[in-house]
Amino acid sequence: MMTFPRVAAAVFGVLALAAPLMLERGTLNDVWSLAFAVILASAWNLLGGFAGQVSLGYSAFLGIGAYATVLLSLNGMNPFLTLPLGAVLAAAFSVLIGLPAFRLRGPYFTIATIGVGEVVRVCASSVSFTGGSSGLRMPPGSFDFTLNYLSMVALAIAVVALAAFVKRSAFGQALAAIRQDIDAAESLGIDSTRFKLLAHALSAALVAVAGGLYAINFQYIAPGSVFDFRLSLSIVLMPIVGGVGTIAGPVLGALVFSTLQVKLLSIPALRDSYLFLYGTLLIVVMLFEPKGILGLVRRVLHRRLRRFYADA
Amino acid sequence: MPEPILSVKALKKRFGGLLALSDVSFSVTEGEIFGVIGPNGAGKTTLFSCLVGSLSPTSGSILFRGREIAGLPNYAVVARGLVRTHQIARPFRDMTVEANVSIGAHFGAGHRRGADARRRVAEILERTGLGERAGSLAMALPIGDLKRLEIARALATEPAVLCLDEVMGGLNPSEIVAAMSLIRAIRDSGLTVLMIEHHVHAVAGVTDRVLVLNFGEMIAEGVPKDVLRNPKVVAAYLGDDAGDA
Amino acid sequence: MQDIAGVLVNSVISAALYATMAYGLAVIYGVMRIINLAHAGFMMLGAYTTFALFTRFSLDPFLSLLVVAPLFFGGGVLLHRTVVRRLPRSSGTPSMESLLLLFGVWLVLQNLAYVIWSGDTQSILTSYTLKSVSLLGVRVGVPALLVFGMSALSLLVLELVLHRTYVGKAVRAVTQNRDAALLSGVNADRISAAAFGIGTAFAGIAGGMLSTLYAFTPDFGRSFLLKAFCIIVLGGMESVTGVAAGALVLALLENGLAVWTTIPTSFQDAVSFALLFVALVVFPQGLPGLFSRFARRSAIR
Repeated sequence: MMTFPRVAAAVFGVLALAAPLMLERGTLNDVWSLAFAVILASAWNLLGGFAGQVSLGYSAFLGIGAYATVLLSLNGMNPFLTLPLGAVLAAAFSVLIGLPAFRLRGPYFTIATIGVGEVVRVCASSVSFTGGSSGLRMPPGSFDFTLNYLSMVALAIAVVALAAFVKRSAFGQALAAIRQDIDAAESLGIDSTRFKLLAHALSAALVAVAGGLYAINFQYIAPGSVFDFRLSLSIVLMPIVGGVGTIAGPVLGALVFSTLQVKLLSIPALRDSYLFLYGTLLIVVMLFEPKGILGLVRRVLHRRLRRFYADA
Repeated sequence: MPEPILSVKALKKRFGGLLALSDVSFSVTEGEIFGVIGPNGAGKTTLFSCLVGSLSPTSGSILFRGREIAGLPNYAVVARGLVRTHQIARPFRDMTVEANVSIGAHFGAGHRRGADARRRVAEILERTGLGERAGSLAMALPIGDLKRLEIARALATEPAVLCLDEVMGGLNPSEIVAAMSLIRAIRDSGLTVLMIEHHVHAVAGVTDRVLVLNFGEMIAEGVPKDVLRNPKVVAAYLGDDAGDA
Repeated sequence: MQDIAGVLVNSVISAALYATMAYGLAVIYGVMRIINLAHAGFMMLGAYTTFALFTRFSLDPFLSLLVVAPLFFGGGVLLHRTVVRRLPRSSGTPSMESLLLLFGVWLVLQNLAYVIWSGDTQSILTSYTLKSVSLLGVRVGVPALLVFGMSALSLLVLELVLHRTYVGKAVRAVTQNRDAALLSGVNADRISAAAFGIGTAFAGIAGGMLSTLYAFTPDFGRSFLLKAFCIIVLGGMESVTGVAAGALVLALLENGLAVWTTIPTSFQDAVSFALLFVALVVFPQGLPGLFSRFARRSAIR
């Protein structure tokens, strides 16, 4: 089963893990950001792409992971031990909101998730033990960037591998059935709510771990940064632009966004136009190629192949 | 008299002001082919929907193998061995025929996995005449094959009772004959079959007993020969223009 | 006792505005089965347009609604013609593509507002902004009263249009049964454009009215969009009365919370929304029948 994409992925994975030996800090930061984006995009894709349930509230899980890490670390726990706890918390929360929210179909579910994101953000900004709107700082201590970097990259590789595994599995089949025709799926024995909750919990947990690593890396978090709606937005845009429902799509989207982000921030004139760019990107993708970059590539390849065979 | 495999008592379904099903009661013995006929809008599909759980009956009881299933969700009823096909086929268009049927095998009452599931799926594809089409995408199938796919998927769930909703609709005469023999083969393999049909000849040719609905009420029940000659039944169909009867 | 009167009066007043706000979303969904997230953007733009007319031409915000309505109607039709119409039509189920596309439009509108007016908080202060009158023993702000009046008027005009004009009847027909309406000769394209126009116009005037009551930033529309969504989930989108009923329930909830609990204002939206969630769990069928349209799809035969 050594197909080209898999070999390429393996090579990149190994290179990324070996990078600290070869690249300098600045570039490593970029790779770290890319890995972070890949995790978020791929995790979201489990529910949003495979099962077709588009949630615009994923920043909630990121924030839960980040805050769990900081709060527990402030109480003396080893930061790395906080990661699985954050994951469990996020998964539990995802089930809590999923139970009512998954009664809603399609776009209604999406709007409900926008609301949930808002509620969480408001709560985080108003409650005192989360440090309110001024945020929280990690406890002072030795912070090992290399370890954090390796964790993030390893997690990214794991998430992509997991996505590939899920897609091929019976679970993935059920999600695909749910995405295409939820009533038909139920008429064949699929308890759609249970599967949706599972996919939701799994992706929430993964995003939360990324959030924890994020908190460890930046040492400081605030509701404005981790519970931001714009973050939820980016999380959705990456897999959609790259190719929703595929394995490579979220990775491609993450790549596009990370590079865009870096470019955007360096040109002052464009810095405030990100909304316009995201919006136009969404409009263009939805109008011309809902399957994203990957869909576009496949379409072009099909046409080339067809022409090739026609001429032969 | 053996215990009926399916026993419906005083089933009622109301949609706001509309009473779609009113006091419907009947029993089906294991191994029977039981027909449900009636003019358009009689409530036949509503009845099936209530049986399998995609609709919750307003009142009444549905006993399947002696246990109450009225009000259970669709997937739970399927898990117990009662499944239906859709009048308008609903395949998973982006998946192959084989993948479609696998869904039934994996998540139906059989809960098959791996090689076991693949074997079952191949078997069913052969039986329903879809063997050659296994790798085709569902969206590329002509209507005859789509209907077969609906049946194949349902069979893959390993039901005890299969409810076919107007499986013959849109088929040409030779396809209808093939469908009739498939249904008999399904029954002979141990299943009980309920079927909604508009094609009166098909119904007469293949069912053991028939129930006639009109405006949500039962107007006749019995052997096809007698039922189809029942003046009330004739009046119901003539009163409503039943095109291809 | 005084409290109850206050809650009731304020709720009725808010409900009218909420209904106007929600109807814009409902009509587009009803006719096209599209959830218009750009609705939030148009409400925001409505607020800013009113603001611009007020600051540049000293036009009274309520009078400017007469300008905003046709302007936004045109804008809605334009949006439909240029962008929405090009979407691949999915049979009847609301599609994700349209949702995300209109979401993109919302983002663009937000950016537009940031560019033109900057992100500073704005508000409209007229001579009567701070005045209030006593209604049934309850102090009601003059702007709130005027908002109620304008909302009620708009909804009345809407009812008339829906029941007396061809376009209105066509809109209702398509909402109730699209196929039958199309078979009866309704031009889907024109009615969709009209629906978009109406929906956007209502978003605009709702925004204009909101600008007289609240301060606003380009980020403005979101919480109101969520409220509109709550209303539609509660009351359905088939009729103006359904929307009004949902609006009243939400308004009562908000005002009740504000008066009888000590929850701070920043939390109130969150609480309203959380309570909606609880309602979804407790009565999964939602308010009579209408909710089933969103949750379980029933096979009708």
